[in-house]
Amino acid sequence: MEKKSLFKKLTGSREASLVIVLVVLLIVISVMNPAFLSFTNIRQIFLNNALTLMMALGMLCVMLTAGIDISITSILAFSGMTIGLLQKYDVLHNTFLLFVIGAAIGLFCGFLNGTIISRGHVAPIICTMGFMYIWRGMAYVISNNAWASGQDVAGFSDFGKDGAPGPYIILIITYVIFFIVMKWTRFGRRIYAVGSNAEAAEISGINVAATVTSVYMIMGLLAGLSGVLSVSIYASAQPNMQYGKEMDVIAACVIGGVSMSGGRGSVVGTFLGALIIAIIAKALPLVGIDSIAQNLVKGIIILAVVILNVLTQRAMDRQNLMRREI
Amino acid sequence: MAGKSGREISASKAVSLKDRLLTWEGALVLVLIGVQIFGLVISDNYNAVNVLREMPKYLAEIFMLFGMGYILILGDIDISVGSIVCLSATMACFAGNGGAPFAVVIFVPMIVGLLCGMLNGLIATKFTELPTMIVTLGTQIIFRGIAEVSLGSGGSVSMKDQSGLIAMSKKIGPFPLSFFFVIIAAVIFITIANRSTFGRKLYAIGSNRTAAYYAGIAVQKCRFICYALLGFLAGVCGLFLLASLYGANTTTGNGFEMEVIAMCVFGGIATTGGKGNLIGGFIAAFVIVCLRIALGQRNINTQVILVVIGAMLIVSVLIPAISAAITKNKKRKAV
Amino acid sequence: MAENNGDTILELKDITKIFPGVKALDGVHFNLRKGEIHALMGENGAGKSTFIKVITGVHAAEEGKMFLEGKEVRFRGPKDAQEAGIAAVYQHPTSYPTLSVTENIFMGHEKLSGRMIQWKQMNADAQELLDRLDADFKPTDEVGALSVAQQQMVEIAKALSMDAKIIILDEPTASLTANESEKLYGIVEKLRDEGKSIIFISHRFEDMYRLASRVTVFRDSRYIGTYDVNGISNEDLIKAMVGREIKDMYPKEKVEIGDVVLKAENLSRTGFFKNVSLEVRAGEIVGLTGLVGAGRTEVMETVCGITQADTGRILLNGKEFNPVNPKTAMDAGIVLLPEDRQKEGLILTWGLGRNVTLPIQEDVAKNGMNNEAKEREISKKYLEDVDTKAVTIFQPANSLSGGNQQKVVVAKALAEDGVKGMKVIIMDEPTKGIDVGAKAEIYSIMVDLAKKGFAIVMISSEMPEIIGMCDRIYVMCSGRMTGCLERNEATQERILELAMAESKEVSA
Repeated sequence: MEKKSLFKKLTGSREASLVIVLVVLLIVISVMNPAFLSFTNIRQIFLNNALTLMMALGMLCVMLTAGIDISITSILAFSGMTIGLLQKYDVLHNTFLLFVIGAAIGLFCGFLNGTIISRGHVAPIICTMGFMYIWRGMAYVISNNAWASGQDVAGFSDFGKDGAPGPYIILIITYVIFFIVMKWTRFGRRIYAVGSNAEAAEISGINVAATVTSVYMIMGLLAGLSGVLSVSIYASAQPNMQYGKEMDVIAACVIGGVSMSGGRGSVVGTFLGALIIAIIAKALPLVGIDSIAQNLVKGIIILAVVILNVLTQRAMDRQNLMRREI
Repeated sequence: MAGKSGREISASKAVSLKDRLLTWEGALVLVLIGVQIFGLVISDNYNAVNVLREMPKYLAEIFMLFGMGYILILGDIDISVGSIVCLSATMACFAGNGGAPFAVVIFVPMIVGLLCGMLNGLIATKFTELPTMIVTLGTQIIFRGIAEVSLGSGGSVSMKDQSGLIAMSKKIGPFPLSFFFVIIAAVIFITIANRSTFGRKLYAIGSNRTAAYYAGIAVQKCRFICYALLGFLAGVCGLFLLASLYGANTTTGNGFEMEVIAMCVFGGIATTGGKGNLIGGFIAAFVIVCLRIALGQRNINTQVILVVIGAMLIVSVLIPAISAAITKNKKRKAV
Repeated sequence: MAENNGDTILELKDITKIFPGVKALDGVHFNLRKGEIHALMGENGAGKSTFIKVITGVHAAEEGKMFLEGKEVRFRGPKDAQEAGIAAVYQHPTSYPTLSVTENIFMGHEKLSGRMIQWKQMNADAQELLDRLDADFKPTDEVGALSVAQQQMVEIAKALSMDAKIIILDEPTASLTANESEKLYGIVEKLRDEGKSIIFISHRFEDMYRLASRVTVFRDSRYIGTYDVNGISNEDLIKAMVGREIKDMYPKEKVEIGDVVLKAENLSRTGFFKNVSLEVRAGEIVGLTGLVGAGRTEVMETVCGITQADTGRILLNGKEFNPVNPKTAMDAGIVLLPEDRQKEGLILTWGLGRNVTLPIQEDVAKNGMNNEAKEREISKKYLEDVDTKAVTIFQPANSLSGGNQQKVVVAKALAEDGVKGMKVIIMDEPTKGIDVGAKAEIYSIMVDLAKKGFAIVMISSEMPEIIGMCDRIYVMCSGRMTGCLERNEATQERILELAMAESKEVSA
């Protein structure tokens, strides 16, 4: 009995195994290079991956309902470009208002995604692919081939420059809010319910369409905020910013144990998943692997993790069958 | 046997011209004609000769359309093809620069593509529990990762001996050589999908995988073949892309997977499997290509085209839902 | 008719429910007393499930009235019914497989403090409910990892957590083993003694006799009657359910029995069945019965190459044969009519013709290209042979009724025989969910096939049809073959005894 529960704990709880992976990873890296765990280094890891960390929370919600959103970096670009231009043409320089505008844009984009998916019964990947083109294109259209440079966003970029507390505060607040909402509120559990069994959710009186719409709105909101954050951190706005990075966000969720078929995943897991990718990327040069191989390693890890998952599941199923009395 | 009632079941099918035009493919033909008129109106240079001259850089992608069509009909998805294009084009350049004769260089991207596709197929069929989106997300990053590692810090390579590639971009009359290859590929792959037993199997698997398996279809074998084929066609795409780019870099083929999927979906091939016709996808591809050329001639920012393509995609997938809502409304009024 | 005494808790009068094109319920009545177990019986498609959905507020009835404790009520949605104290445990547990037991129990009525969910409190409450039901799992277990019986217990716990006065159990024993059923009976009786009123829907007579005090019968969407269980004979009840004498249902004829065609020796598959042996002769209709979950379908699936046995061997016409996939089995002459025709037997969105020719398209093809003309000819012939009620071979399979869909599946098997020549036909629950008329037609087709010299295996849970149609009857229980009865020695009691034999082993 004891043995079984230990086995279950290790394989059953995704978060526990991720923590183990993370700890082992950190130990190995700090043995090879003791400087790795310095405050500056850690601070930079979080800053460089702030956008992924942020958007992974939204992707968690979307994937919990068995959906996917690949329009996020386009929403990010559209929102970021908008607030970049507002500063470039001296319309607005108030940091708070810029965040509000970026968030509003994201919310609107997410609303479109959610409505078309839940009411129009369009496959999430197709709908968000359409908007991936539309918002990226719109970012180019409004920019009219111009960038917002460091000079344009001078005052604003202080908020997110290396060493400024802004991005960390936003990250911490968002994670705390999501941790509470997803675990302790009805709304959060409804997202899980819809992804776990939409039909049953409908029967127990949950408005499935509204729930699905709201997760895409959450995703949009976070993407919009990330757009503003991105302009602030990198002190520039270009239409092609974060191009293709939506796959990183999805990868973080997948490694963090979020299931693509819905209903399974957690805030902690998502955080750990994103962190593991970030640390590996940062640590590769320190262990003697050219940073050029970053993607290769990342890809292999993703495949290894998901395949390992399948193999454990199979082993568990087989054990259950063996236990059945005949 | 039974058949006591002697009821007759009709087995003849009469299809009127109206029925033919009312299909998605029929509508797409009208859209294609509309795009030609649009092109002629907005640009003075929009004519057959110019369109054909600008076509080669877009044609390469169309090869992948057929393989992606097969994969989507199966109810699967493959988002690694853009990376396969990158890797195969890169390897072709290395082969050429390493002194291989052009006759060999031609086959390098195809073989690389085929191997990549086979790897996708192998993982997808051995681990059927995994959504193929995840599998190909992993391999997407891996294939491009391999290309990045082999390209090294420079991040790009160009073909030193370009004579072979120049020969490939030759023209026969006004038609670029690749145009003929695309047409030949279209005829072959559309015939297989619509007329052969293999094509019927793909639709069966996409419509109901379990029933197809119970009916004796080797589901996993078919899936493997399609992944391998799509990989191979991505290699072909890489080869023809070289003929207009003369080199490859780490961003080669970026986003191709989504463009190809968009063409298929716009062409009426559903990502849920079992639905659609490659002919639709093929017409849709030319709608998009002609639109790009027309807008490009007016020096309209190429990125504006993204907005148009995205909007077309969303409208096209919303049409079934909208028409369903309308008929439902009508019925309610009738009651 | 039963006397109406005792307090009525729920009463429904003249309920009519119309779906596009069909009257699913036609003026039905129902009366439930406080603290009784009331069985609701009827054939598949009689309207029982629709009726339950009306009670639970999932469907709104077009006509009729519902009275709860004497007051008229009208539910606008499932939520209303829940609040009124009505809970349903459906046939397929409608649970959230990725979530914990606690969460499944309290979904929709979580315990909150402010706006925060009180997990500790809920887990404790869940434990209490599970203790009441004598459950052997923890509130923190994931529901997807539980057995069907355990999942049902979660659903019952959910009903209790809502303090339901009326609990509806929709075919709860359908997928349970005998032991699990017995445990469920105990729970249901306990609930009744606590004062709950229970509506129990089941196909199994033993469920009804064991538990219910009254039984209401529906047939063809209509109300037939309510009877005291003690006051009605089995025959009368069947007559009420089916609408005619049962004897003329089965056109079984004597057919010359030939050599052994299919023989299985000591087949085992871990977790599903162990040491199963059987044989079927040409011209013979062999029944394979037992409770759902006894492993009948799984055994036959290994014979058809759908899955593979771990040990044992299969002989076809005396030669060893290893079906590694459905194709090898089909090429060897074994054809399966699967249990779930909508998921396994047909491609519902396809035309009938294409469905019929799917397994043989390669046999009639020329150079890998489909021979559409030939296919049309074949599918037309066989669809007409089995008397399918269809207009054209191009209409989609989902436009047909259950019985006609089954005929298409039969036509598919016949077409295979016509092209390749088949030897063994395995029919898994061939009459499940189809109306009486279509059932009789399926039976007569079976007799015709037996006359043609096929070896036929019929898996079925319906005892009358097994007894009425089969030359020999194999009975399985919990993955073991517990016995084989000749036609003349088969009775419901004998079969039931073997089907519930549990660990007792009888050699076949």
